Amino acid sequence: MKTKQALLLLLICKATWAQETFPVNGITDKRHTTYAFTHATIYTDYKTVLTDATLIIQDGIIKAVGNNVQIPAGAVISNTKGKYIYPSFIEPYGDYGVGLLKTIAAEANNENQFLTNTKGAYAWNQAIRAEVNAVNQFASDKTQAESLLKAGFGTICSFNKDGIVRGTACAVLLAPLKSQEVIIKQKAAAGLSFSKGSSSQDYPGSLMGCIALLRQTYLDAQWYAGVKSQTNLSLGAFNEQQNLPQIFDCSNWQNQLRALNIGTEFNKVYILKGNGSEYQNIEAFKKQKPAFILPLTYPKPYDLSNPWDANLASLAEMKAWEMAPANAALLSKAGFDFAFTMDGLKEKTDFIKNIRKAIQHGLSHTDALKALTHTPSQLLQLQNWVGSLNPGMFANFIITSKPVFDKESSIIENWCKGIPTIINQTTKDVRGYYSLKINGANAGQLQITGEPTAYKILVLQDTNKISATFSESFNQYLLSYESKQIPKDAIKLNGYFTDSLKMFSGSGTNALGDLLTWQATFDSSYTNLKTDTVKPDTVNIGNLWYPNMAYGNLQQPQTQNLVFRNATVWTNEAEGILQNADVHINNGKIVAVGKNLNAAGAAVIDATGKHITAGIIDEHSHIAISGDVNECTQAVTSEVRIGDVIDETDINIYRQLSGGVTSSHLLHGSCNPVGGQTQLIKLRWGATANDLKFDAKGSTWPGFIKFALGENVKQSNAGDNARQRYPQTRMGVEQVYVDAFTRARQYENEWKLFNSKKSNQMPRKDLELDALSEILNAKRFITCHSYIQSEINMLMHVADSFNFTVNTFTHILEGYKVADKMKAHGAGASSFSDWWAYKYEVYEAIPYNGKLMHDMGLTVAYNSDDAEMARRLNQEAAKAVKFGGVSEEEALKFVTLNPAKLLHVDKYVGSLKAGKDADIVIWSNNPLSVYARALQTYVDGTCYFDEATDARKREALKTERARLTAKMLEAKGRGEKTQKVTLGVHVLQGCMGVDNH
Amino acid sequence: MKKHFILWLLTVACMQATAQNHTTLTANQKSILFTQATIHNGRGEVLTAAALGFKNGKITYIGTDTKLPVNDYDTVINCGSKHIYPGFIGMNTQMGLVEIEAVRATIDAGEVGDINPSARSVIAYNTDNKSIATVRCDGVLMCQVVPQRGLVSGQSSVMKMDGWNWEDAAYKIDEGIIIHWPRMMLFNAWWASSPEEQQQRTERQLLQLKNLFDEARAYYMSKGSGNINLDAMCGLFNHSKKLYVEAYSVREIIAAVAFGNSYGVSLVIVGGIESCMVADLLKKHNIPVIIKGTHTLPATDDTDIRATYKLPALLQQAGITYCISVEGFWQVRTLGYQAGQAVAYGITAEEALTAITYTPAKILGIDASCGSLEKGKDATLFISEGDALDMRTNKISWAFIAGKPVDLDNVQKQLYRKYLDKFGLHDN
Repeated sequence: MKTKQALLLLLICKATWAQETFPVNGITDKRHTTYAFTHATIYTDYKTVLTDATLIIQDGIIKAVGNNVQIPAGAVISNTKGKYIYPSFIEPYGDYGVGLLKTIAAEANNENQFLTNTKGAYAWNQAIRAEVNAVNQFASDKTQAESLLKAGFGTICSFNKDGIVRGTACAVLLAPLKSQEVIIKQKAAAGLSFSKGSSSQDYPGSLMGCIALLRQTYLDAQWYAGVKSQTNLSLGAFNEQQNLPQIFDCSNWQNQLRALNIGTEFNKVYILKGNGSEYQNIEAFKKQKPAFILPLTYPKPYDLSNPWDANLASLAEMKAWEMAPANAALLSKAGFDFAFTMDGLKEKTDFIKNIRKAIQHGLSHTDALKALTHTPSQLLQLQNWVGSLNPGMFANFIITSKPVFDKESSIIENWCKGIPTIINQTTKDVRGYYSLKINGANAGQLQITGEPTAYKILVLQDTNKISATFSESFNQYLLSYESKQIPKDAIKLNGYFTDSLKMFSGSGTNALGDLLTWQATFDSSYTNLKTDTVKPDTVNIGNLWYPNMAYGNLQQPQTQNLVFRNATVWTNEAEGILQNADVHINNGKIVAVGKNLNAAGAAVIDATGKHITAGIIDEHSHIAISGDVNECTQAVTSEVRIGDVIDETDINIYRQLSGGVTSSHLLHGSCNPVGGQTQLIKLRWGATANDLKFDAKGSTWPGFIKFALGENVKQSNAGDNARQRYPQTRMGVEQVYVDAFTRARQYENEWKLFNSKKSNQMPRKDLELDALSEILNAKRFITCHSYIQSEINMLMHVADSFNFTVNTFTHILEGYKVADKMKAHGAGASSFSDWWAYKYEVYEAIPYNGKLMHDMGLTVAYNSDDAEMARRLNQEAAKAVKFGGVSEEEALKFVTLNPAKLLHVDKYVGSLKAGKDADIVIWSNNPLSVYARALQTYVDGTCYFDEATDARKREALKTERARLTAKMLEAKGRGEKTQKVTLGVHVLQGCMGVDNH
Repeated sequence: MKKHFILWLLTVACMQATAQNHTTLTANQKSILFTQATIHNGRGEVLTAAALGFKNGKITYIGTDTKLPVNDYDTVINCGSKHIYPGFIGMNTQMGLVEIEAVRATIDAGEVGDINPSARSVIAYNTDNKSIATVRCDGVLMCQVVPQRGLVSGQSSVMKMDGWNWEDAAYKIDEGIIIHWPRMMLFNAWWASSPEEQQQRTERQLLQLKNLFDEARAYYMSKGSGNINLDAMCGLFNHSKKLYVEAYSVREIIAAVAFGNSYGVSLVIVGGIESCMVADLLKKHNIPVIIKGTHTLPATDDTDIRATYKLPALLQQAGITYCISVEGFWQVRTLGYQAGQAVAYGITAEEALTAITYTPAKILGIDASCGSLEKGKDATLFISEGDALDMRTNKISWAFIAGKPVDLDNVQKQLYRKYLDKFGLHDN
């Protein structure tokens, strides 16, 4: 404690010295005035309140605070009776005084930029800016400071908010002093984000690329710590700033959870700055209990006055509007620490209003004050300097007219480092009724009501109510009105107010310019109206749905113990299709399949006339992915991971459950030869991203990676400007692979040498090469976008030469031409049933492809690559019956067992067999018929889709929309600013055309 | 009277490809009687164990008489349990206009500019386009071929899915003017401009349309000449052409209906995903709707997840004339199944069939000769082994367009045979 105080003093001295180095033009005017604020209600910290207390400050520092404080002789005394004193607020995530570094101009239009444009010994990537220290750019700025002081702030942590690694932020005071005097901590925090900001470099081009780059940066920095042969100022700075508070700027709650995943990986604790939507998944945050920095940007209500526009507003947006102001209250109830930030607020005056709104939605005054003072000081480790009012700390406080969160409260003064900023001069409350006398004669009653900041003035003369103009400046009052007394006259008065007498007195003139004297004495008939305290829990909000949108679950569904009786059961096992058979599921697994099962304890479902199959597995899907499906910027991006960017709020998860899909293989796009790592998920609608992963519940899945060949990777259909990235031909594609795997082999050898102690030089851990090395060692498997026979053949040759197998060729529309070679190589096929003619390379695609490959002994799947088609993959399977006459039993396997095999998960899913996961679908008809509907879909024995439940969800949706529509119309009626309804379009297409999926 | 050459060896391809025993038909068999068939007439009726005969391209017999006029026909074929359907009619397609979507040189689907009423799809229809021979194998025998792009894209024509050249293939030339109604909902997407700019664009386009129609009507009334765009528009005012307006949302549909009525033209709504919400208006003005596929995603996150499957049933219940279409070219092969899809969601199989046969013919104004199996109408029909609306059972044995047998071979089947041979495999 003592050392910290010493440090504090040192800093103050330093600030003073800084000032002292400046020559004085004129006479030195150093003052050491002591100020005493007496009789105030003082919050020494967010939870300690003293009444009728005194605060003593000198030289910018608090000297004493308490009820029995001796006022030193020579102190300037300010009677603050009836007023409130609080520690001033702390902005943990600002950019005050930090002009953004000049962004580096991008190359001429349409030129690729593969490397950084930052000159010097910095990181390879322009978005890694650890070397930036905001303090180096900081300059105090009175105009900027004033608006923050007005909002009640005294301290701010200023960031250069640009890039993925943003360097350090400085903590500064907002006092109107020189820059040298206000910096209290040069490096107060380090900044991170998933946004590349002003970087003109191509990479990273996607959210998953940003995540991969950050991950690699951690590894590079660890490696750099042991490297002497080169200098990298960015990595060096990054290492140095690791013990600072790490503030991670996230654009929403999903990215916050993604940041926590990275934190877990590298053992980092992040303070998460979000967008105020944390309430949408509080449960998911409970494991790690991060601290938050919450913006107070609430969405505006939608203008729903046109019924047809109203239709387009989504329930997700409507609920977000309603629930955003409750975010802080909900987090506080769940026990999270958080600070508030002005970040993102267009109108700074909305800050306090929005805090009041949070209080109306259940946040306590204490917690609100905590979030403005205590928590930010703790998070930024400034608690010994600011955030409370204790001797030795900075004299940073605000004086308010009423309890700070009261509606009519206003900040009178904001003192920062002992320097006052007067915010509201007319804060002296002179409201009341006064007997007005002019030249000694009764001139009626002067009524001053309304608010001290905006008085309402009336002069009552008999039955006449005359409105008057009234203003004040430094206890000089002006009053003018049209007198109705006879003779009528224009009265203009000037005077002053004497507190002890509660009396105005002064002089003035009439219309003729005759001199008048006047006085107005307080009339006891006036009674002050009680002011409204902003009370918590006065607003009702709807329930949280999982996810918080249309078709979200009101309660999370549970696994069931069920027996389906008397169905047609497509086992996909040696038993084939069983008539009048039963399926028993319990604890998420299939217990038994057969006739007349003894399933004691299980609820019985009569499935007479129904068909039961294993859940559909989509080998090639791009649903439920946030922030771009492709990392297009390099030919090899094996380091990026779809698993980092799963979007659990994609409605297509629910839509596809309604088509019997239970697992989807989420793939990186096809715009580069080596794309990213894929993610197999189960469609557990309502669960959090991490819990959607196939292996979240004890199963294993080896991990796959997307490769791609042909027109997309050589950018044939990407426009005339896409002519620079290697490769541009199929020749180049082969060489990209040979080069990549050669590098991976060399990398493996470096590690072998190091691990066997034959080399002292620890290789740099390279996530791109790690993934390729996993392929070489059969720990990661390829699914390769492919069309033309020549390229298919080529990749198998490359694989053979490096001794690995291409696990799956996806699309593989000319697979029928080289099915024998694929068989010999050991590759499987995942194709479309009948697509063709959308590109030149699919001109010889034929709908008999599946049949030919199947008959050649390949494992054949049909996939969707399309959010719409995925809802009816059963029908696509049926096309194998139409085109080539594959048997119905085998055709169904194209979308169930065969993709399970291709994905190495057939021991868990793909058929109906005791012990396997209870991922099953109940169909109304033969599942290969166009007339079949999925009636129920179970994942892990849990019903995630059911026609009856779906009907109930639609009813709930209708009711909830009606309630929110009424509430929004009411908000509009109250005069709230609204926003126009727009239809958010999520473009989800497949390999059709040129969109590189 | 047997000639020794075979003009059309029907289903040779199919025979090789599907290894089934068919009666081989020759071109000099100018009249054929199919017996023991299940006949779906396209207007809701199903005749079982029925017979259908045609001569000189026209249907001459349809019925279930015990004594059939077998002697009137060159050839009599017992269908067994097979089904006879009117040829499906693909509405709002780009058949014959595009060979490969991503290859610009092969695309003739949309002209440059906003106002192109004079452009005619008929002359760009390439009868040798490889997709044409594939869609026939799924039952699509006629198509409305429609230009795209711009505000007024051009003129559509009805084409047969067979022919030596476009003149030969044309069934009804320049039968409609195609309009893409200005977007009236505001979008929020990476490609979208600000809501204000979107609104301004819409208003500008509405004005453009109004000007065009005002001037075209004046031109028509005054028997003007010399402006080929306005010439093309004249047919709208004497009802020799229909106005096809692509409109989706309620606002767009209402605006389009008001617009169409104010000029007294015959209006057809294309798209109409929200048409069920303005059913009364559409019914009152007798305006048909061309549904753009059931295999499409719901419009918004909040929309009933099966809304696109249910739309036909909603229009059926509301008594609105509607048909089901599939936009595109190779994709049109799925027309029957996209209609079949709606059967699981509230319409009958025969209603689904009507939506891709008789109703399209009615909308196109060719129902007097086409679109259903009735005596005196064109013998444009096909015979399927099973239910043709279900991909599981749709297997076409023979097809005829106006009595002319259709070659059911195509490049895909040829490649299939080639590789069956290479690998010593057999068709099942």
